[in-house]
Amino acid sequence: MPEHDVLVIGAGLAGQRAALAAAEKGVSVGIISKVHPVRSHSNAAQGGINAALDVDDSWESHAFDTIKGSDYLGDQDAIEVMCREAPEELLHLEHIGVTFHRNEKGELGTRAFGGASKARTYYVADITGQAIMHVLYEQLMKYSEQIDRYEEWFTTDLAIDEEGRCVGAVTRNIKDGTTEVFKAKSVILASGGNGQIWQPTTNALICTGDGIAMAYRAGATLMDMEMIQYHPTTLAGKGFLITEGARGEGAHLLNAKGERFMEKYAPNKMELASRDVVSRAEQTEINEGRGFPDGTVALDVTVVPRKRIHEALREIVLVGRDFAGVDITREPIHIKPGNHYTMGGVKTDIWGRTNVPGLYAAGEVACVSVHGGNRLGANSLLDTLIFGRRSGEDGAQHAKGHGFGQVSRTVLSDAEARVDAIIARKHEGGRRVSEIKAELGKTMDEKVAVFRDEEGIQSALEIVQRLKEEATSAYIDDRGTVFNQDVLGAIELQNMLENAEACCMAALERKESRGAQYRTDYPERNDEEWLKHIDVSMNGEGPEISYSPVTITDWQPQERTY
Amino acid sequence: MSAYTLKVRRYQPEAEEDDKRGAYWETFDVELDPTLSVLDGLLQAKNDKDGTLAVRCSCRAAICGSCGVKINGQSTLACKTQLGEAAEEAARMARNGGGEAEIVVEPMGNMPVIKDLVTDMESTHWTKFRRVTPWLLPSGPPPEREYIVPAESMVDVTQSVACIQCGACVSSCLSMEADPDFIGPAALAKAYRFVGDPRDGQTTERLYDLANDPHGMYDCTHCFSCIDACPKGVAPMNQIMRLRRLAGDDHGIRDVNNGHNHEMAFVKNIKKKGTLDESLLLQESYAPGVKGKLMPRVSAIKGLLGSIPTAIRGIKTGKMRSVPKLIPGVHHKLPGDAQGHVEEIYERAEESKIQLNLYIIGEGGEEDHAAEEVEPESVSEEPTTA
Amino acid sequence: MKLAYWPGCVSRGFTPELHGSMALSAEALGIELVTLDRANCCGAGVIAEHNQELADTLNARTFALAQETGLSMMNICSTCQGAQSECQERLDADSAYRSHINDTLSGEGLAYTKDKDGFTNKNFLWLLVEDYGLDKLAEKVKRPLEGLRVGPFYGCYVLRPKTRLGYDEFPDRDLYLEQVIEVLGGQVVDYDGARRCCGFPVITMNKETSLRQAGTHVGDAIDAGADCLVTPCPLCHLNLDMQQPEAAKVVGRDLGLAVLHLPQLVGLALGFDPKQLGMPKHIASTIAVEDRVSALA
Repeated sequence: MPEHDVLVIGAGLAGQRAALAAAEKGVSVGIISKVHPVRSHSNAAQGGINAALDVDDSWESHAFDTIKGSDYLGDQDAIEVMCREAPEELLHLEHIGVTFHRNEKGELGTRAFGGASKARTYYVADITGQAIMHVLYEQLMKYSEQIDRYEEWFTTDLAIDEEGRCVGAVTRNIKDGTTEVFKAKSVILASGGNGQIWQPTTNALICTGDGIAMAYRAGATLMDMEMIQYHPTTLAGKGFLITEGARGEGAHLLNAKGERFMEKYAPNKMELASRDVVSRAEQTEINEGRGFPDGTVALDVTVVPRKRIHEALREIVLVGRDFAGVDITREPIHIKPGNHYTMGGVKTDIWGRTNVPGLYAAGEVACVSVHGGNRLGANSLLDTLIFGRRSGEDGAQHAKGHGFGQVSRTVLSDAEARVDAIIARKHEGGRRVSEIKAELGKTMDEKVAVFRDEEGIQSALEIVQRLKEEATSAYIDDRGTVFNQDVLGAIELQNMLENAEACCMAALERKESRGAQYRTDYPERNDEEWLKHIDVSMNGEGPEISYSPVTITDWQPQERTY
Repeated sequence: MSAYTLKVRRYQPEAEEDDKRGAYWETFDVELDPTLSVLDGLLQAKNDKDGTLAVRCSCRAAICGSCGVKINGQSTLACKTQLGEAAEEAARMARNGGGEAEIVVEPMGNMPVIKDLVTDMESTHWTKFRRVTPWLLPSGPPPEREYIVPAESMVDVTQSVACIQCGACVSSCLSMEADPDFIGPAALAKAYRFVGDPRDGQTTERLYDLANDPHGMYDCTHCFSCIDACPKGVAPMNQIMRLRRLAGDDHGIRDVNNGHNHEMAFVKNIKKKGTLDESLLLQESYAPGVKGKLMPRVSAIKGLLGSIPTAIRGIKTGKMRSVPKLIPGVHHKLPGDAQGHVEEIYERAEESKIQLNLYIIGEGGEEDHAAEEVEPESVSEEPTTA
Repeated sequence: MKLAYWPGCVSRGFTPELHGSMALSAEALGIELVTLDRANCCGAGVIAEHNQELADTLNARTFALAQETGLSMMNICSTCQGAQSECQERLDADSAYRSHINDTLSGEGLAYTKDKDGFTNKNFLWLLVEDYGLDKLAEKVKRPLEGLRVGPFYGCYVLRPKTRLGYDEFPDRDLYLEQVIEVLGGQVVDYDGARRCCGFPVITMNKETSLRQAGTHVGDAIDAGADCLVTPCPLCHLNLDMQQPEAAKVVGRDLGLAVLHLPQLVGLALGFDPKQLGMPKHIASTIAVEDRVSALA
């Protein structure tokens, strides 16, 4: 039974940063990931990372932009922490090797981003997430004596002791199918979001909300689950991301008539309004017949100087060429809003602590909440790093003050029995796992997307509940132990359905429009009744809704225009 | 929607059926849009027909580097190769070779196979990766704010930073086929990422290490396979050549592999003769200059002795026309004043040593600059995506 | 057909039989070659490794000499093709860089001009298929090489990288050897090595790696039943033929497979005698090929 003071589950930016921060505090660390760490989805963050580093900028300005962006649902104490600590974190990254692009003076260079009152987005071409994550992985190599890596291990459940403390996790080694219980004094979930519930999505196939579901089953509270970001520029059909950096560099959005339609929706910020605003504007154009026949509008990057495209937007040139057959340097590319980011997640405080003792969460799996109803572009990398580090530090501190807990004997046998039961399912009468997943994705994208209403959400919830039932008998083909991806898929499906149910319930509950939640049946923001978080927790076998207050420090809610 | 046949190289380590022991081929018929990827095809087969088919994949957008495979023999990412293109390539090869137009999908090369298309990258790729000390080693404590470095240097290393560690280059590497210990294209490109980074304080040490490793930078046979395999334009071989230039020329490293000697012998040979005098090259590359001949290294003596049987065979067949041909200095010269002009080129180019970096200026180069002046095209009414 | 001809260095050094057989074949094909006798070595990638500008200027000089003749340029060496294409790519990419290089060349009264359609420099193999034409080649065949089993060996420098080597326009360049062998009446032998590396570039740095590559490919071709290999690259020839006895030791098996230069294979089909084509100069015995050919005649 492997033992670590701090066990990190997930090895994207938040997980790797947490592991490094914990190791720096002198504790033993294990980091588990269901894919090799550099395959993690933090890779996909293209545009950059926000920090008020410039002498003319201030963390307060960054905080205000973030709060306004969140449609006042973000917790202001957490946002303050994130924005205050951003410059230091950015410099730390630069010092350990991230190749941030420079200005002419050789200093860190910036680009403009949506919803920001200053150009404060630092970047590495349009591969910023990848560039940072590979540097963190380099650091994992450098500190390999303090940090044990478990690459391609799939965590199925958390281990909770009789007092409700998290004391470890149950994990399957994908390469040989063996199951191990990892003991830990602190467990940090950093396993990412749940975008795979929607189809299409910009999210990778691995983004199945495993951590959210595991924590939920272990008694942790989920928060803001209704807040799902649709990114304004994704490729139709395939859902691939075109960075907001393109608009940051000056690209225009055009409808089929060639009009820069953002004039109507956000006359000041135009294309650089916050994402929920831009996505709704696009969807309105499309719904009202001013889009292209394929249900899209156009992103015109040709207005950006070619040399600049070449050095700063290289990746999306490739995306256009390889996945849409379009040379974006010469012609506009068709895009539409697409599922992108989970603002909600496992509820934590500003140190990543959940309501389950010993259990932390950081990054997209968590909801601190710094993004509230809508995340600003280039704040997600920042969120992962700041709260990854804070969870690592506090997790290490917690580990120093506690011993290993008692892992119940049945934890391992229960996990093994669960896998055995999946493998033993009969083909007769059941549905294929992939079939259920496809129906889920289609349902959520139709009914719980940019525009929502009670009827749609209610019907989505009913479908999800039926699929949950069907998933218990869904069958697979692979009965082996070596690299059995089939059995992982069945477990992921269950996780996804738990996420989807919580999302639908919260979306149904919030009877107003705020941030990413736009209810056509309640089109206004209603601060009097709904300036509060919706929490979901597991009560017995079913989900239960409750509320918690939004923390407001210096910034009172105002009308939100761009 | 079109129909495609995927011919997949499979290996099921736990299979009990006789026909599934060891590696075997299996074909899957899939129906998808031609602009969808070979990965989409594999996933359709896996989802609808056979869940035991193993393939690593995640982002589907050529960012995560999971789905390295060989398609029609070419190492690449399954998600980046469109079905339509792959089918065309299969048909092209079949037309010329007479086989069936099936899209052939195999696991990556130069790595053990775990199951189907899943290879063991840890024992190969990642071990080599760790070999090059893959983290920044600055000299001294960091500055209060950021390091101030030329803007161009960060754009320059972006080419190797763009590497997603998918292993396609490793899979395609022809040197590694012959020498499994070769550090290889991915790890050496990673090494360049630090060598080319002005913040790193161990540049000479890194170069010295990789120049003197018999499986290091001088073990690349310049076959360009990695350049074609790389889905991200990293051009690992180009980074290896830059390591060599930096090691031998800029840092004065005299490697035990004879790499720099060989390079300089070649360079000087052309300066002197205009065209290559192979006999002189051989001698100078092993024992350069007067000093090299008076005090030859053991490796030089071995190298020269090793080439004697080949030379004798050459003389016997008349390939090397005469014994004097083997005496350095007896080699035909360029006519008239031509050699003088070649020397002029040397004088000027060795002075300025411009390195035009197409990664920075763009492959289209000045075409790109010219196009900036052109008015952007108006929005097309036709949908540009499928 | 009249062409500016760059024979390269090795064809006038260790593989004189290539130069000779090219001259014979060209004449029989009706191709007039204007030798660029003032031109210099392409640098084989090695000079570029040392100093890119030096390699680019040296090749710009060769291109300028070819442009003076007003003719397209032909080479007979895969390595020349690859090294020169690489330099041409840079020369064509940036006009300021080109002026700088031309300034260096001005002492000799030379200048490389970027043509509207691009300066054309083709390996004999490409030229044969794309410009001369396989139909015309077929008409010239006097002695179809029936029953001769030939393994193609391209050389990396005419195969990769595809974007630089014109594969967008001519996607079948990696199949031309097979096409030529068939037109000449020979039988194509399918084996693993055809598009792999001969190992020559590291022969002085890592002899083991280098010869293992050469030996493996020759061995594979033998196992596939080849009577000979054919290559458009004299540097591959050095490793596959001249070093073959040494390669045999490294791979620990008997080899002994004739390796023909492309113009030699063409020459055989055009009716020339193996001796005229310089085949006795080879290290690996060509007797098996000679016997087969004489049986045809």
